[in-house]
Formats: sequence, structure tokens, C-alpha cells
Amino acid sequence: MTEIIKTENLTKIYHGHVKAVENLNIDINEGEIYGLLGPNGAGKTTTINMLTTRIAPTSGTALVAGFDIVRDSLDVRKSIGVVPQDLTADEDLTGVENLKMVAQFYDVPKLVAEERIERLLKLVDMEEPAYRLVRGYSGGMRKRLELIVGLVNEPKILFLDEPTLGLDVQTRTQMWNYVREIQKKLDVTIILTSHYLEEIDALADRVSIIDHGQIMITGTPQELKASLKGDVVTVTFKTQEDANTMKSLPSAVEVTDSGPNSVRIKVENADSSLPDVINYISSKRLSTIRLTVQKPSLDEVFLEYTGRDIRAEDPGDARKAMINMRRLRK
Amino acid sequence: MSGLGPLTMRELKKWYRNPVFLITGLIQPFFWIALFGSAFDFTKLFGAFTLPGVSVTSEVKVALDGAPNYITYIVGGVLTITGLFTAMFAGTNIIFDRRLGPMGRFLSSPIRRSSIVLSKILSATFRILPQALILVVAALVIPNGLVFQNGFNVFDGLVIVAAVILISFIFSSIFSVIAIRMTNMNSIFGIVNLVNLPLMFVSYAMFAPGMMATWLSNLAQYNPVSWSAEAMRTVIIYGNSTTLSQWSQIGWWLGGLAILAAALILFTAYMAEKEIRD
Repeated sequence: MTEIIKTENLTKIYHGHVKAVENLNIDINEGEIYGLLGPNGAGKTTTINMLTTRIAPTSGTALVAGFDIVRDSLDVRKSIGVVPQDLTADEDLTGVENLKMVAQFYDVPKLVAEERIERLLKLVDMEEPAYRLVRGYSGGMRKRLELIVGLVNEPKILFLDEPTLGLDVQTRTQMWNYVREIQKKLDVTIILTSHYLEEIDALADRVSIIDHGQIMITGTPQELKASLKGDVVTVTFKTQEDANTMKSLPSAVEVTDSGPNSVRIKVENADSSLPDVINYISSKRLSTIRLTVQKPSLDEVFLEYTGRDIRAEDPGDARKAMINMRRLRK
Repeated sequence: MSGLGPLTMRELKKWYRNPVFLITGLIQPFFWIALFGSAFDFTKLFGAFTLPGVSVTSEVKVALDGAPNYITYIVGGVLTITGLFTAMFAGTNIIFDRRLGPMGRFLSSPIRRSSIVLSKILSATFRILPQALILVVAALVIPNGLVFQNGFNVFDGLVIVAAVILISFIFSSIFSVIAIRMTNMNSIFGIVNLVNLPLMFVSYAMFAPGMMATWLSNLAQYNPVSWSAEAMRTVIIYGNSTTLSQWSQIGWWLGGLAILAAALILFTAYMAEKEIRD
């Protein structure tokens, strides 16, 4: 597979000491959907901003579509599409006018632009509202418009920064379908950042977890889940004595306490290990109150590698998030 | 690859589509010429001090610099101030773009960053020109209004257009530079409010130099608002009979405005390339 993005020790230090991104080395393959997952302040947006040439790195280099992000920044910008976290369309213009204006930024010939815009509008089911002022759009419509504004220059790479932030669950699932559709039909490499683990899980071919400006782990969502080595069976007993007996289950990978009278049993595969667990319980005549099985999710992967819950919010982004929310809710 | 064209078009579309802008833009010149023309009419102000048997008419005539009435005298000043006040708000649109999101789009597009700011300056100038035209028409139609007693030719017209455009360039550049790094709308409104009246009154836009306190008059001669107002005033009052020495004085005023405008636009473009961000 060919690499379309390659970074080498990419570093961004703010104010001389705040290391937003430190010695980042990532390779992104052509045609894949690559997810960048991390808590607020982890360096996701800084990384995206450097790769899209909005800010210059302090040190290190990166090649985007074969161009150096510092030396050939204009060529980089021509080869990429960006859908920033914030809404960028002008509310006083129609959807089509916004699209045409951005097409002019890329010197797309008028007729080519018109034909392309028609096609993109169709792709995200926006033909009808496209000729109305953006001011009157719903949140979902605005996000769909943003999505295709990033595509008017037929980019090789599309950067999606939090594409479904602030959308309701239904609209979010709809957006995912559009993103898949775009990747399939336009054959574009997509770099996606998200707070939503389920989003990365649903869309990304590969994902990197980033924290404190460094990559903690990279792999397919399946690989990452598998890296947790197993499923978790949690059993609660009537007495602590029973719980202690449970700890000597032979097929367990690891057994730890999990609250009063409870044990957390890590097994390789819950589907095949659960009968063992149940047989053991009945053979030792233990009295159980509760038994739950948990398959690993990216949530746990995230917790494992960053030691933090992704949902913890950082007040720094609050102002922008609020502005976005207010406009999306209309 | 500049983006200046599409960005300027965008600004103008937003302007002419907004009915409030359009209507206020049409009415405002009438208000200004009528109100400024009456409120500051020193021929009337002097009238209040007229003592029995003493006429001040001749002194007033001197102060009017040969203009038949005060409106004719201040049209150049009011045109300059219209340009000044409209241009001052060029910066606010930069802050709006930053707060409402479009700036993010511009910054990630392959356009020159200076064109983001230059489009505001250019569109402000385009917006001022029809207003200036309406203002001149308004001055002509109101009672005791503008009189071209010495005729009016194409060169006089060009002086007026050039002065309005240069004033617009100068002040929209200044306020755009201020807005390049600003995120708070109130700050720029504060600055506009702080400087608009001093710029207007520390100039020859409303009053003749001889009528001002010496320190004020001394300061006013360095104010580009004065240069523009005086240049326009000269061609409006003297028209076809403008003398060669008056033309050379106009040349100095317009030259000064042009050099200042060019320097400020270059500085604005440089600052935008270097400093503008989301």
C-alpha cells in the first residue's frame, strides 16, 4: 500500500514549553479511513492543523500527498479537503453560493465546478435546500454542506475534524453513511478525529490513540480491542467467601476483585469460556447474584492506553463548542 | 490563486441583499447633508451674535472661502466623513468571519491570506461610492443646497472620486489591521467610537481653519480627513475657474492621501500574511 501521509518526528511546542505534539510518527495509507482518537488537549487538532498547513510545526516534517507541509504548503492545500470542527459556511449565502465561492478559491473552472457541485449535492441529498440561504438550515444540513464544501476541489485527502460533534444520534448515523459513501465513490483518503468512540469504531479502517501529543497505539479497531487480551466476566456472589473461591478458576487469564463480593475475570473469549465459569460455579456450589459479560469496546481500549475516560471535558474548547451547538440546534 | 475576486463578491452580495443596509444606505446621505448642513452652519451661528448696525456677512463670506452657502462649503467634508465612518467598519467583518466560522475555511484554502483582508477594504470602497453619489444628489436637491457656481467638469469629478476612494482605503486599512488578531467585537467598536469624532473635528471637514482654535487648526492640517475635504471643497467651489496654484495644492493633498493609502495597504497585506489566524 502507498503512504499518502507520512510524518517524521512532527513536533509542535507552544510558548516555548507547552508540548502539544511531540515526535509524532504516523503513516497513513492511500484510500483508508484513518481515525485519530484522543481526549481534549491530546494534540488531535494540533496535528490536523499542522497537516493541513494552518500552523507550522516547531520541528520535524510531514509529507502530505507527496508535498512537504512547510516547503510546499500551497500544493498541500490544493491536494486536500478540510472539514473543520467549526461550521464555516457563510449564513448569508446559499449552499450553492458557498460551494461556488470555495471552488473559485481552488481555481476550478466554472462549468466543471457547477457539474461537480451538482454531483456532490446529490451525494449528500442536499439538492433541494442548496438554493436556500444557509441561515435556515438544520444542524444536519449544515454539517452535510460542510462535508461537501471540503470536496469541491476533488481532494486526494479529506480531513474531518469531529464531523458529528453536536448532532443527535440519528443524524450522526446518517452522517456516517455519507462518509462511507464518499470514501467509496470518490476514492479519497479520510483522516477522521473524533470524541465518539463508536464513530471511530464504525468508520475507521485504522485508528491511532493519541495522548499528551504522542501516539499510544495504532491498529485496526479489532486489533486494538484484541490487544486488551480477552473479555471480562464479572460475577457477584452472596458472600465474600464464595468470591474468593471463584478466584481459583483454572481457565481464567486474570482474576481481580471488583467491589464487595465481586470478582472480575478476564478470559480469552467469553463465548467459549462462559460454560467453564458456570460449570465451576455449580461444581463449587457457589451462590451467585449477578453475572455479566463484557466484550471489549474501544472505550476500554481508550481507558487502558490513556488512563482516562474520553468523556471528561476540557473547558478550553467550551466557547467554540457552545457557539457550534447553538447554531446546530436551530 | 488570490481569492480576492470571490471574497469581494461575497462581501458585496451580503451587502446588497440586506434590505436594512440598502435602505439606510440610501437615507443616510440625506440625513447627513441636511443635519450637518444645518447644525454646523456657521453663517447662522454668527447670525446669533449680530449686533445692531454691525454686519458680519463679509467675515462669514471670507470664512466660507467664496462658497455661496454652507452646504456647498461642507459637501466635501461630509463626503469624506461618510467614507471615514463606513470604512471604519471594514474591520468588524473580519471579526465576524472569525467568530462565525468562515475564517477557518479561508485559512485552509489555497488563497493568499492578504486577500481575506484586502477584500474587506475593496468592498468597503465599493459600498461607499454609491453613497457618495446619493449624497451629492441629496445636496443638490435640498433647499439652499449645493450650488456649482463656477461650473463643474470631469476633472473635478475625478478629484472627488479619488479623494473618497483614498479616504476609504486609508481608514479601512487602519481598522482592518486592528482587527487582524482581535476576537472581541466590543473592542473594535470601542476603538471606532474613540477615534471617529476626533478624526472628524480635528479636521477642516466642518469648519474653516481660521475659525478653529490655533492648536486645533495646527493639528488638523496633518489629518488626512482635512486633505480630502479641502481638495474636494476647492473643486466644488471653484469648478472651472480653479487656478493653477490651486490645482497644485490639490495635487499635494491627493498625493499625500495616495502615498498614505498605498503604504497602509501594503502594511495591511503584510500583516495579514503574517499574523491573521483563526
